[in-house]
Amino acid sequence: MASNRNPLKDQVAIVGIGAAPFSRHSNRSLLDLGLEAAVNAIKDAGIDKGQIDGICGTGLGVMQTHNAGVLSLTGALGLPELSWAMNGWLGSQIVYSAEAVFAGTCDYCLIVQAEHRVPAWSASAANDPFRVRASNLGKSVASPGTSEVFDHYSEGWIHSGEPYAAYMNWYLDKFGVPREMLGMMAINNRQWASQNPAAAMREPFTMDDYMSARMIRSPLGLLDLDLPIDAAEAMVITTADRAKDLPNKPVYIHALSLGQARVSEYYENAVWGEQAPWKAFANLWKRSDIQREDIDLFYPYDGYTPTMVGHTEAAGFAPTGELWGLFQDSWDEGRQKLKLNGRTEVHTGGGSLSHGRLGGFNYYSEAVKQLRGQAEGDRQVPGATTALFGIGSFFHDPAAVIFRAD
Amino acid sequence: MTVGTLTDGEVFDAFPGVVLTHDNIAHYRGLLERKLLINRCDDCGFWSRPPRPLCPECWSRSVTPTAVSGKGTIFYYTVMYQGRELPGFEYPHLIAGVELAEQEGLRYLAPIVNVAHDDVREGLPVELVWLEDIPGGPVAAFQPSAS
Repeated sequence: MASNRNPLKDQVAIVGIGAAPFSRHSNRSLLDLGLEAAVNAIKDAGIDKGQIDGICGTGLGVMQTHNAGVLSLTGALGLPELSWAMNGWLGSQIVYSAEAVFAGTCDYCLIVQAEHRVPAWSASAANDPFRVRASNLGKSVASPGTSEVFDHYSEGWIHSGEPYAAYMNWYLDKFGVPREMLGMMAINNRQWASQNPAAAMREPFTMDDYMSARMIRSPLGLLDLDLPIDAAEAMVITTADRAKDLPNKPVYIHALSLGQARVSEYYENAVWGEQAPWKAFANLWKRSDIQREDIDLFYPYDGYTPTMVGHTEAAGFAPTGELWGLFQDSWDEGRQKLKLNGRTEVHTGGGSLSHGRLGGFNYYSEAVKQLRGQAEGDRQVPGATTALFGIGSFFHDPAAVIFRAD
Repeated sequence: MTVGTLTDGEVFDAFPGVVLTHDNIAHYRGLLERKLLINRCDDCGFWSRPPRPLCPECWSRSVTPTAVSGKGTIFYYTVMYQGRELPGFEYPHLIAGVELAEQEGLRYLAPIVNVAHDDVREGLPVELVWLEDIPGGPVAAFQPSAS
């Protein structure tokens, strides 16, 4: 049980964002994508590259090579020296980096997340000799540190998508909820993506389309699963004092938490409502001055629709098993979008389901655009000043984070 | 600790795709001898998965891989229509976290066989059945209980 200490409240700010294009097949290396995003973020921040003294790159473990890890990025960007360096994945990168800036271990931290479709997920990727080689040699970034093949039933569900389908079967049966609840989330995200020029999938679809999509793992069909793509995004963060002198309107990190639950590797051991995101949000709310009813924008991890259900309940928008009622009350038939409790917009960029799979990193930059008032494509939410994130799996790296702007 | 008679080398040869450790090798040796072994604390009786050398409840280091009854109920399940390779099985394929009768929350991941997929529900009573002649086998699977 963490206390309610929050000394870094509003002390670290996002001052630069940048991206490389989201596409199904870029024919570019992971590092190339990461470099484009990094250069754009540093230019957006309005600083000289020599001021970057910390990097959180892509991957798990600082020995990551041939990808967009810190070793590769530092050299390829021509940065003379750093005082803080690591790699990370999912929502936790920003937590580590904000802690480093707050602690004074670095002043301007570059965070880079790059992603490739991998052969294990995609038939066309399985025909790309570059991807196949990287995967065979253990250099694929998709499941860092883990195998992409299923070894044996008796190894349990370890870092697998299958248990999320199984949890959802359990959830729909136990609480008497129809698949349309999942469909609402998928439609909502695609609707927002249709207004996001950077999104990889922008064609809206109907509930009929959702219900008739090919079943992959019951009860999850094709439109319940995130969109494997090639892409990269990057951010620059610094202290609130330094942010005041930079060109962009600062977006402050108000509160953050990680979380972990007693599951011990095998996902079938987990109980819905007691997994890691619930721990992360419980500790976030203890530290935050901003509470759930104050949230304008919400980005629950949508690697699969079940993770979106989980993070939304974990954030406290509805008690366990009662999200369907909230969604029915919050569905805007005209817009084909959710608006939770008449206030909170959900996944304004299209999320992992439609903007594209980038470990949730794209939610951060989408929110920064919204909080600066710079979202393109007619999707700016007027007057938005607060954003809430729940990014990560039910078992590792679930970050609960709040951004605020004046 | 050694349970059964197969050597470590024989277990390594039988499960080339599994990360075998000092803590879990007894479980895999058990599979080869058609025993479903789950770690049980000798001091407080708590069952736990994955196999660990320390009881997470009382911190006793006296933990013994112990055969379970093979009775249980389906707790989580999904029907897979595509995905990873399934040596010895065909799609669609039903896989479940089976809650073992020995203890609430004690679960084992296994294929469910000899049942129409539409008849599977959470709570369905199942029993252990060994699948022979499966690559990587014998595989511990479950089927609806006879009684």
